[in-house]
Amino acid sequence: MSADGPAGRPASPPGPLEPWPDTVRWQPISRDLIWVELIRLGIGLAVALVVLGTAWALSGHWLLGAAVAVALLLSAWRVATIVRAVRAWGYAERADDLLVRHGLLVRRLSIVPYSRMQFVDVSAGPLERAFDLATVQLHTAAAASDARVPGLRPAEASRLRDRLTALGEDRAEGL
Amino acid sequence: MPAPWGPPGETEPRQRLHPLSPALHGAKSLVVVIAGLSWSTLSRVGFGWFAVLVAVFVLGATVLSVVSWWNTGYHVVGRELRVYEGLLWRRTRAIPLERLQAVEVVRPLLAQLTGLAELRLEVVGGGKTEAPLAYLGVAEAAALRQRLLAVAGRAPASAPATVGAPPTPAPAGRRLHAVRNQDLLVSQLLTPQAFLLPFGVAFVVAQFLSEGSWSFIAVASTLTAMAGVLLQPVRRVLDDWSFRLDADGDTLRVHNGLLETRVQTVPLHRVQTVGVTWPLLWRMKGWLRLRLEVAGYSAGEPDDRNRPDRLLPVGDAGTGGRVVAEVLPGVRLDALPGTPPPRRARWLRPLSRAVVGVGLDERVFVARSGLLTRSVTLVPYARIQSVRVTQGPAQRRLRLATVHADTAGGAGAAAVDRDLADAWELAAELTARAQAARAADRSR
Repeated sequence: MSADGPAGRPASPPGPLEPWPDTVRWQPISRDLIWVELIRLGIGLAVALVVLGTAWALSGHWLLGAAVAVALLLSAWRVATIVRAVRAWGYAERADDLLVRHGLLVRRLSIVPYSRMQFVDVSAGPLERAFDLATVQLHTAAAASDARVPGLRPAEASRLRDRLTALGEDRAEGL
Repeated sequence: MPAPWGPPGETEPRQRLHPLSPALHGAKSLVVVIAGLSWSTLSRVGFGWFAVLVAVFVLGATVLSVVSWWNTGYHVVGRELRVYEGLLWRRTRAIPLERLQAVEVVRPLLAQLTGLAELRLEVVGGGKTEAPLAYLGVAEAAALRQRLLAVAGRAPASAPATVGAPPTPAPAGRRLHAVRNQDLLVSQLLTPQAFLLPFGVAFVVAQFLSEGSWSFIAVASTLTAMAGVLLQPVRRVLDDWSFRLDADGDTLRVHNGLLETRVQTVPLHRVQTVGVTWPLLWRMKGWLRLRLEVAGYSAGEPDDRNRPDRLLPVGDAGTGGRVVAEVLPGVRLDALPGTPPPRRARWLRPLSRAVVGVGLDERVFVARSGLLTRSVTLVPYARIQSVRVTQGPAQRRLRLATVHADTAGGAGAAAVDRDLADAWELAAELTARAQAARAADRSR
């Protein structure tokens, strides 16, 4: 449970092409999110397997058997990527903006100025609550802005929320 | 009438919409009802029953709109417009006017005949057009628009508003440009749809000749289906007829429309992006089209017609340059910077590598795209909401990345397939410039 490193340690060794290494201190998100994601995957897989397995047992068509195999293979591949994907999430608070990066296949980095913040969402689903995690999402007026930080400890989530709100109010402006 | 907004205790009386509104709504529902019943119903039940059905539905709709008119009211309280509506489900909307992005006065044909107008407000955060006040008298609509814009303006104290005073005619402003209707017609003939129209007609005629059946229903439904696709140029002509562009202080006023006239008023500092398009077939004339995006017209408005994003339906390079310079001071359309992505990006976009490009102008971010229909998106730095860098698997192999500048209205602008180091630098530069521009805006 407490495998999280001290604050400030990079989630993954920074590649040679990480942006602005001198000004950015990437914060990792909690590794417990791996378990949340794995359980989610497991539930999805179980449902799919029950449906496909029942259909296969009843009809005996070989295509359904192949579908079961494909579902298992995809899940195995997904398990491998979940671990790396969670490690790839990271966020950083700079003086004027919040940086969020995530994604393995398609890598994404969002830079959202605090002053552009319209509102902050803090949410925690049942699975996340079971692992004592929460998600913070920053909304701007642009629909495309994408600043979501999952897998935060509740204390860290509310600290981030309060800080974002304070900074946003400080520099608030219209559009 | 008392002062429109005084101390919070005293509020101005709630006002009703124009008493003719229910009649207009009823007439509008006639079209909807007929379209909803469709041609096949007509063929099944016969003309008499069809007429009865239509009459029943229209009558019902009219009664409903009378009830809703009776229960609808609006007034301005402080810096808010409040709209009350609903009989069973009472709904009060308070529209904060600081968030007002644009005001539009729309007059459909029937409203023109009866001297009425619809007032539509665009408020940021609303998924769709907020609070269409349909319908008001023309003078009343113009006065309310002036007043709302005054309240929405930057200086709250400097808004001299008199509601009871004789409605001042909308100030004429400074004429920036008027599009010649002849040019508009030619421009819409130079569209793929106009070129395809003869083929479509020939196809339909050939089909009927070969089948030898000329039933009214078949012809009518085919024509209706074709009209939806092929008559877009006609609609554009009707919508953009007698297009005029005026500047009035720091607001921009766009007049357009033949059957349905629209007057859109946009404060200049609300313009989020300006898009310039050079359609393929217009190149022989050297024409371009300008659009502007305002926050609030988001994806919630699926109907393209109701997105009042026109800035110039057609114009030559000189006109385009003048209009752009007016909307975004200091931007020269003929001298925009731009650099294409590195050569290795040709693996991802073999044909269009040379035409996509980005540049950092003094006040705007410039992104070019499009091989056949060329376009340029201009995003003022002060309007950038967030910056994103994305990198897909193929881009990673080629060490490329895409930088997006997100805006509150429209799709924003994207610098596709930049060199990775360039992309980081561009993202940092955009962030820094956006911040500087915002600071400058704030101190003004």
